[in-house]
Amino acid sequence: MNRILSQAQKELAQFSRDRLTVALALILPLGILLIYGYAIRLETKNIPLAVQDFDNSPLSRTYVERLFATNQFIPTPLAGTSPLSALDRGTAKATVVIPPTFSRDVAEGSSTVQVLVDGTDVNNARVIQNSIRGVTNFFIQSLPNISRPQGVIPRIRIWFNPGRQESLYIVPGIFGVVLWVFPSMLAAISVVREKEQGTAIQVYASDLSSTEWLLGKGIAYWLVAVAEALGVMLVSFLLFGIRLKTGPVPLLLGTGIYLAAAVSFGLFIGARTGNQNGAVQGTAIAGFLTSFLLSGFIYRLENIPFPLSLLSNLVPARYYIVLTRDAFVRGTGWPGVWYVPIVVGLIGFLLFKVASKILQRMQLLD
Amino acid sequence: MASSSPSTGNEMRTIHSKAVTIQVEGLYKHYGSVAAVCGIDFEVERGEIFGLIGPDGAGKTSTFQILAGVMEASAGQARILGRPPRDARLNLGYLTQGFSLYADLSILENLRYTAGLRKVPKADFRDRAADLLTLMGLEQFPNRLARQLSGGMKQKLALCCALIARPQVLLLDEPTTGVDPVSRREFWDLLAGIAIEGVTVVVATPYLDEAERCHRIGLIYEGKIQQTGTLTELRANLGLHRIEVRAENLPTAEAALQAALAPGETDLVDLQSFGDRLDILTADVDTATVQIRDILAQKQLSLQSLEANDPTLENVFVNHLRRQGADPSYRPFPYHRRQSRQLSRHQDLQQDASALPEPSVAISADRLRKVFGEFQAVKDVTLTVHYGEIYGLLGANGAGKTTTIKMLCGLLPITGGSMSLAGETQNLHRAEVRSRLGYMSQKFTLYDDLTIRHNLEFYCGVYGIPRSLHREKIEWVLETCGLAGRENTLTKRLPGGWKQRVAFGASVMHEPDILFLDEPTSGVDPLARRQFWRLIRDFARQGTAILVTTHYLEEAENCNRLAFMAAGEIVAQGSPTQIKASQSGQLIELVTSQTQTASQLLKQQLPSWRVSIFGDRLHLVLDRPEQDIGLVIQCLQKAQIEIRSQRLLPFTLEDAFIGTIQRAEVSP
Repeated sequence: MNRILSQAQKELAQFSRDRLTVALALILPLGILLIYGYAIRLETKNIPLAVQDFDNSPLSRTYVERLFATNQFIPTPLAGTSPLSALDRGTAKATVVIPPTFSRDVAEGSSTVQVLVDGTDVNNARVIQNSIRGVTNFFIQSLPNISRPQGVIPRIRIWFNPGRQESLYIVPGIFGVVLWVFPSMLAAISVVREKEQGTAIQVYASDLSSTEWLLGKGIAYWLVAVAEALGVMLVSFLLFGIRLKTGPVPLLLGTGIYLAAAVSFGLFIGARTGNQNGAVQGTAIAGFLTSFLLSGFIYRLENIPFPLSLLSNLVPARYYIVLTRDAFVRGTGWPGVWYVPIVVGLIGFLLFKVASKILQRMQLLD
Repeated sequence: MASSSPSTGNEMRTIHSKAVTIQVEGLYKHYGSVAAVCGIDFEVERGEIFGLIGPDGAGKTSTFQILAGVMEASAGQARILGRPPRDARLNLGYLTQGFSLYADLSILENLRYTAGLRKVPKADFRDRAADLLTLMGLEQFPNRLARQLSGGMKQKLALCCALIARPQVLLLDEPTTGVDPVSRREFWDLLAGIAIEGVTVVVATPYLDEAERCHRIGLIYEGKIQQTGTLTELRANLGLHRIEVRAENLPTAEAALQAALAPGETDLVDLQSFGDRLDILTADVDTATVQIRDILAQKQLSLQSLEANDPTLENVFVNHLRRQGADPSYRPFPYHRRQSRQLSRHQDLQQDASALPEPSVAISADRLRKVFGEFQAVKDVTLTVHYGEIYGLLGANGAGKTTTIKMLCGLLPITGGSMSLAGETQNLHRAEVRSRLGYMSQKFTLYDDLTIRHNLEFYCGVYGIPRSLHREKIEWVLETCGLAGRENTLTKRLPGGWKQRVAFGASVMHEPDILFLDEPTSGVDPLARRQFWRLIRDFARQGTAILVTTHYLEEAENCNRLAFMAAGEIVAQGSPTQIKASQSGQLIELVTSQTQTASQLLKQQLPSWRVSIFGDRLHLVLDRPEQDIGLVIQCLQKAQIEIRSQRLLPFTLEDAFIGTIQRAEVSP
């Protein structure tokens, strides 16, 4: 135990002396948090929309006003006589063409407007289609003397995030990515650097076991990771208005275990590779891609196709994001997340075991 | 003579029942299909310093890694203190190449960490660390970070770390590489003290001159131990003596003597040319002396001096390898363009140098200075290199050699002073000037993952050799390197010596008038090194000016003239003989009954650099030997130390270097 602690102490001393690493460890995660926190917006806003109004009556103008009354569309000129010209130039994502008979047809009970939507961005096209349909429905309902059939009317209320604040969805997800990639990268580099600089030989030449060695390193980088986690969460609290919605115990315990698993993953990569390049690539690419794409951070887990979906079960970020979203958005506590610390802890333990097995002989390989 | 053969020597020691601490039998190590260690056997006794001497790639490091228990042997076994190395790890101190210190930790933190690894009790640690740091002279700055230490201090700290757990066996893998000569001396003195306390020391080094400080030496080459024995035994085994010949017009003298080497003609066995002397090996000094005089008289060359000496370890090594036929054949560089271009300009120089008052100057520097920020890297360096001359720049790492060479070849702007290069003083980086220069850097600058041909084609392009000549030039280098037909081999597959020849070929393809060589021979085995110097000498004799840096002081003997650099300044300049002769005082070898005690006693009387332990002998530098030796003898007799023998030794360049530097430190 003494040797493990002295190992950890040495790692921390070494870490704190290397200003570049300290800066990387503490500033880079914040940078990523800010970039993602501000840049990723899935909600579509400010779509440029052109209107060709052949009717030009009070009614048609009311309709156009309605279209722009939400934040979703901003007006853009038609740029020519053809309704397609703005789409062709890419200055508008959609064009609405109102026929000359619009007011008369509405008064008679039914009218048509033509909507041309740029389908390059499939998702956006669907959003535009739905919004225009919604606005049009609303417009018709608001007309005074139109008789319309009464059907089922849904009364919708949004739970957990009533204001549909998007940062509440994105930021807890970023925790899953940042707190996986950086702790593992630091841990991997610390193992590989000893191999590269030959200091590992001194360790091999003593009778320290691989478990003791890795545990010492693990403890040190786990502490660094905790500092990173606190920093990232504090900045999110200040800038993105993230607040705890439930008791802190699941979050604290879960984060501690998640960070330990991340460090274990780094130690595993460090044990496998022989140079810093490999360590950085291994943790950055493997860690980043899985925790970004296969974790449900942005892309729905249910959309992941079959063989990959199995892999996603092994991605700890997937479980941790469930936990952070619960702590900061849903606020349901243990009933929804009880399995997270268990699964993440298990994966972390396995990674550590394998890493320590790889280095078991504590010898140079041929 | 029979009793001094290595095997009998070992047996005798075993009979004397000294404990054998290291036992190696039939050790093999293969990396894939490459064999690094091919069946070596040796034994080391308690308290002995055993030197494993050989060039890079000879298998030293692999052997050490097996002995330290950090690597498995492919076959055979090694036992340390009667146990497999892996089980003896805590009783071992292992100093790896490059020292494996944590650059970001302080001296004390490095020590504490190692102590923790090796289970030194906390209570012991404080005393032990204090003792060791005082012993090594590091006690004043325990909190300095390892990366801020000089090479010599790093080496001492690494030794502290290796000793912190009081090991019984100390394994030192090239502990002195990259360390300046003064620190090297001090280091060996420390080692001698450690061995006396009963620690078994195995040390590897590529420096043949250091081997003299071991009790016993194993010469290792290509994974095999070629010979084992004490220095005296090895010299006796060689059965040859060395005669140093100094004469006017050395090239002619060399040619004449070379012709006489043919077997049966004379008693001369081997000839080696140096900067200002020839070394001749012979079995019979008297006959050979007469023969040399005769030959030189026939050619009407006047002889300046003729001295008989002990053969060097390099002689032993090279001759042993030659007997095994390991000597690669030598092909002189074929000159094309050079003949017509150079001869017109430098004919006079080659034909009769004496007729010309001052041969034309290739490089000259006057009070050259370089300042990096606050740091004065080079201070007032003044030197002149003529065409046809090999000029050596010597000094420890960080003495300013590389900065100087970079300024002289126009790669680095100068801060102060003036210089001329190939007759130009302005715009030294112009293409016309550049095309007359050749530069070969420390790392050979060949691309490892290109084939030899691609590398050479690349350099043809770089040096602006006309496309029509590419083919001819490349064939020419390949031919010279003996690599014809292997031009499609990847460069990284070439052994060090060959690679260096290719690099040399590449840097002279455009037949430069001035050639800069920055540490060209580090990591090359003695045979290849000898050949390499022959090649350089050939070039010089064709009229090329050559400026070379090296930290192998023994190698600097190859230069016509040389300069010692220390802390950015030139502290001594002249031919090797002049420099050695200008050393005041005498070098005296003493054999006493108690080497260590005698050394400690004398160090109290004399500055410590004047006293060093060489195996079982003491070397003393005395300024007034006639008076001082009396005092020394008195002092030793008072302590009841018996003096078994004493004799005068000639200074080596290293002695001269250390003396010059130590005196320079005392005087200002």
